[in-house]
Amino acid sequence: MEEFFNALCRFFLNSDSLFDMVLSALYIAGLWGLFRKSGVKSWWALIPGARDYQLARCAGREPEGRIFSLTGAASAIANLVLGLLSADVLTNEYVDESEIIMLLVILVLSFVRFIYNIRVWNGMCEVYGRRKRWLFLVALPETQWIPALLWGYSPKYQPQWQVEDIRAEMARLATSGSAEVMDEGLTVNLKERTVTDFFQKKTLLRDIHMSIPQGHMVLLLGGSGAGKTTYLNAINGYEKADAEVILNGANVYTQYKKMQYEVGFVPQTEMMRGKDTVLNTLLDAARLRLPKDVSAKQRRERVDEVMDIFGLKPAKNTLVEKLSGGQKKRLSISIEFISNPSLFILDEPDSGLDGVMARELFVQLRKIADTGKIVIVITHTPDRVIDLFDDVIVLAKDSARTGRLAWYGSVEDARRFFGREKMEEIVKCVNSKGEGGDGLADEFVMKYAEVQHG
Amino acid sequence: MAEVTTKQAARGKFRIRHRGRGAQVGIYLGKLLRMFIYQNDWKVLPMAALIAALVGMVVHRRFFINMEGTLMGSFAIVCVCIWNGCFNSIQVICRERDVIKREHRSGMHISSYICAHMIYQALLCLGQTLVTLYVTSIVGVQYPKEGIVFSTFSLDFAISLFLITYASDMLSLWISALAHSTTAAMTIMPFVLIFQLVFSGGMLTLPDWTKPLTQFTVSNPGLKVIAAQADTNHRPYATIASMVNRMRDNEIGGTVTVGQVIDLLEDTSNPTVSELRETEVTEGMKLGELIDAAAVSPAVLEERDHEITVKATVGQVLDLLGEDRVKAFLEEKAALANYNADYARTAPHVVGYWAHLITFVFLFALLAMITLEFIDKDKR
Repeated sequence: MEEFFNALCRFFLNSDSLFDMVLSALYIAGLWGLFRKSGVKSWWALIPGARDYQLARCAGREPEGRIFSLTGAASAIANLVLGLLSADVLTNEYVDESEIIMLLVILVLSFVRFIYNIRVWNGMCEVYGRRKRWLFLVALPETQWIPALLWGYSPKYQPQWQVEDIRAEMARLATSGSAEVMDEGLTVNLKERTVTDFFQKKTLLRDIHMSIPQGHMVLLLGGSGAGKTTYLNAINGYEKADAEVILNGANVYTQYKKMQYEVGFVPQTEMMRGKDTVLNTLLDAARLRLPKDVSAKQRRERVDEVMDIFGLKPAKNTLVEKLSGGQKKRLSISIEFISNPSLFILDEPDSGLDGVMARELFVQLRKIADTGKIVIVITHTPDRVIDLFDDVIVLAKDSARTGRLAWYGSVEDARRFFGREKMEEIVKCVNSKGEGGDGLADEFVMKYAEVQHG
Repeated sequence: MAEVTTKQAARGKFRIRHRGRGAQVGIYLGKLLRMFIYQNDWKVLPMAALIAALVGMVVHRRFFINMEGTLMGSFAIVCVCIWNGCFNSIQVICRERDVIKREHRSGMHISSYICAHMIYQALLCLGQTLVTLYVTSIVGVQYPKEGIVFSTFSLDFAISLFLITYASDMLSLWISALAHSTTAAMTIMPFVLIFQLVFSGGMLTLPDWTKPLTQFTVSNPGLKVIAAQADTNHRPYATIASMVNRMRDNEIGGTVTVGQVIDLLEDTSNPTVSELRETEVTEGMKLGELIDAAAVSPAVLEERDHEITVKATVGQVLDLLGEDRVKAFLEEKAALANYNADYARTAPHVVGYWAHLITFVFLFALLAMITLEFIDKDKR
């Protein structure tokens, strides 16, 4: 019974000696106050592992908090196991192998926790505007209760910001509505796209509804982290969202396998084998993407046709790694274009290209759109090619850190809606102030929701 | 392309069949064979020759000659195979992870991709096996002639080398599928190699609780199969003979009675004593007759319990008892004491180890396949 009690003490307070238990209790009491000040529920301080993550949240160090809390939980479990194995392993004359292993595990975990503890408290120093010399106190378990208690309860120490209440913000900025499904073209009705990150549900995108007619070339705008690539992945069915995506009358999600080749997605980076030739790369792409009953002669003709369109014929026997930046981009696009997709999505196809080459590339994309296909493009230098686009989509990160639709419509209407002439100015106005923008995302999201759904 | 579109239309817009798994294996195998030329994968063959030459030169004097040399040589050959196999494929998947992601998105079957790698890596391993066998025989390793499972030893041995190399190759392929970058893969690699060497179960004495771990290493069945094929158990234990040689000048001594000396000299079952007894002392009289006469003389009988102190070197005793006979006796006893049932030179043993290695090949390939199926979950 006594051993079990000691094991529990090790689990909750990391120790079974009275002195250490008192110090741990003081530290936990300090965390209770710190959490309250930062807008986090105070009772998290009682739960081993979880309290480390909440502390990291208060410090604005969530990524570090994951490892800090996992090692905290593992350390608590290892202490519990060690406590059950032996009441006081260090004073025993005979220590068996399992106890040695547990001690080694605890030692390694303690070292990792030591490093992450400093990283997290470094963040706390920034949040409370205190000097880094406090880290000397925090580094040792015997003294870390001092800053915890002092900062947690003294009115002199106040955090510069609190942990955001994302749920309340999401409720405040909720919108509704849907887009009418078109027989020809692309209809997107996206309710939300979420991910679970370290037991937390995060909403990346929400309430995006639009219908894009065939033959339109669409510019996708948004600041960094607004969810542009996430949105494109949701459209092409690669990363499924809580959404309905209808392309020319067929549901992309439910018929994904069949429609895989109807959607061409050109990634931001050139993901191709550098040691293969242009011709072989395209021939393999054709064998993979074209239907089974297409003959070798037809495949070769299609490859020749695509090489002609994108000006790759002179380099057909060149290794991919030897191509220029522009040629690599065109080859990357050609790979997807081989299957003649109805929806063509390109993630920053002009990155690394000079103005003239980028313009040439967009002119080619315009020609593709003119054949009745939908072309959606992300670019960070939209103004030099804006005359080639029919529509513009503007995604913005709202105050709940969720990607939202701030505009979908013609380029001219977008200029009027935002009251700005240049596309880069539109991006700037919806970007947050922390990113050098005007911080008007919430305002335009709500305004567009009113325009769209009334 | 107009014809293609017409066919698509005729079949109904989205009812188009694309290439299945089998056809995709062909696409990727072709790609990998091109890479053999362009990506310098061919370099693994001269590298294998170089490693085999280095190891062969070191082990050839005692490999297949005595027990320790054979065991050491077997371990060295297993290390060569594991090294070759591991470095064939440790980077092949992780270096093109982005490309795989893109192609998987475009309809590539992971199973086809891994199967293509399995075929390609099998060809590489086969090449390395043949190179290793050829180079080691050139540098002086004397391979036996008769095989256990097949009629020739070379074929048996080549199968073992191939399976060890291939199983290690597939293990690395799995690690390459697990690692997200070449740096990560190369960081994991040394731990895998050390694990293989430490837990081979043949060279180091392991604590009992770690012994089950040897079942998870390629080196364990690898070492066993090579040692069995090399007939390690029936090779002489040479350390004893060299120890005896080194002790020749060591002095030994003790007190014996006259009776014990007489009894020893009368022991005709001892061939050395018999030979000694045949020595002529004078014309017509042999030493044996003189000893027999002395043994029954009253003076000697009276002195039988008299103690005399003998002082001699090990060499003198060996000369007296017959050095070759003593060494042969000691080697036989030592070999018997070191007999390892796992190294028994029988066909069922060898085939069993081959089966163990083949299981590893398919297990690791399957794990690589399962691991890579989750490639879409990679964080951007």
